Formats: sequence, C-alpha cells, structure tokens
Amino acid sequence: MSEPTASPEQPASPPDSTRTGPGRLLVAVYALFALSASARAGVQIATKFSHAPVAYVLSALAGVVYIIATVTLGRGGPTARRIAVCSCSFELVGVLAVGTWSIADPATFPDATVWSTYGIGYGFVPLVLPVFGLLWLRRVNRRDSIQPTIVT
Amino acid sequence: MNGAVPTTIIVVGLALAGYALLMTAINHRMNVPLLAALGVLEILLLVEVGIVVAHLVGGHHPAGLATLIGYLCAIPIVPVAAAFWGLLERSRWGPAVVAVAGLVAAILMVRLHQIWPAIHV
Repeated sequence: MSEPTASPEQPASPPDSTRTGPGRLLVAVYALFALSASARAGVQIATKFSHAPVAYVLSALAGVVYIIATVTLGRGGPTARRIAVCSCSFELVGVLAVGTWSIADPATFPDATVWSTYGIGYGFVPLVLPVFGLLWLRRVNRRDSIQPTIVT
Repeated sequence: MNGAVPTTIIVVGLALAGYALLMTAINHRMNVPLLAALGVLEILLLVEVGIVVAHLVGGHHPAGLATLIGYLCAIPIVPVAAAFWGLLERSRWGPAVVAVAGLVAAILMVRLHQIWPAIHV
C-alpha cells in the first residue's frame, strides 16, 4: 500500500532520454570513436602530414563529427537532438563517400582513415553506428511527440 | 601474442564481454561481480602499461612512439570509464557498456603489440 507507484506528473521522457537505455551504449561507442579518431588524426597530422594529407584531414573531420555526436547525444535536449541528427547524417554520408572514394582512388589514401573501405579497419562499426544513431534519435523524438515533456 | 600478460588480458576481456552481453540478453542490471571483473581487468591493464613503460625507460623505442604513448594513456581509462558510465544506467544497457570495454581491452592489446612488436611482456 505504501509502495510508490509511477506518478503521472513524472515526465515519461526526461531531457536526458537520448543517453539512457540503448542510448547509454550508443554514447559509449561514440565516445570511443571520438577519442580514437581524433587522437589518431592528431598524431598523424603532427608527425607525418605530407605522407597522406587527404586521409589525415578526413580522419580529423571524422573525429570532430564523432565528438559532436557524442556531446549532443549525451545532452539530449531539443537543440542537441537536432544537431545530433545532422552529425549522424553527415557521418553516414561521410563513411559512404570516403569508403567509395578510398576504393576508387587508393592512391589518394596511402594511409587509412577511420572511414576507409566503409570502416573495415574498425570492424565496419563506423558504417552501422550512424544508422543506429539516427534510428535511436527517431525513436526518442517519436516517444516525445506522443507524450510531450516540459523542458526546463 | 607477445607474452602472458596481453594474452591474459585478451582472454579476460573477451570473457567479460561475453558475460556482460549475457547479462544484457537476460535483462540484468550492473552488479558487484561485473564490477569486480572490471577491477581485475583494470589491474591487468595497469600491469601491462607498467611493463611497457619499463621497456621505454630502459631506452628502447618503437617507430610509432607518439601512438604508443597515446595507447598507454588511454588503456587504463577504459574500465574506469565503463564502470562510471555503466553504473549511471539502471537497466540492461549498463552491462552492454561493460561488454564494449572488454572487447576494447582485447583489441587495444592486439594493436599495442602491432605498434611495438619487438617487446615481450
């Protein structure tokens, strides 16, 4: 009888909803790629930029996109979610474009980027990550449009 | 592999990942045995990092020294970050974060010894 039940005034989907549940795993994997892609690009640009400039600049770009996705998915507010949709979309286009480019013109890529051959060096995780990111954002947004929450 | 320590880390990391994924599959939250296993992984990773640093201090250097130092800094953070982020989650997705950490520890060992194949740990 004293057991508290789910109160109706409790928001069904708090502002942090993109980082809970499956989002917890998503943010963890994004953080991992943010760290590894940007650290790798940093070392490559600092030590041997002239060896493969296109590949290293694209690695750095991927690193920035992963950082933006990590932060925005971790925050989860309305603006953050819109930015997250943009960065996940950009990431999907990037991995497809760079993946195709690296196969069509291997001479431009004497050293690999995170997105080379659709992310083969990272177990194709870079290819599936933006898809899961976009699906997750769509699900959270739909849940919120059914039960709107008061964002403080 | 290059020695007993990285081999042990790979086995422990993959076993931890398997156990954590099983917990996610059967809808279990983070628990003490999973945290203890993360602690064991952390200790093993610190041993590995210590031995590699000892090799560096001993005057040997690999070709990719900057990358190696990056790895040595990142490796001990993995289980700690997974424990912190996983404990914030009160659902089956906490152990899923730990599973990633176990896999990453195993992958980092393989890559670390590709960067510096000469050492035996």
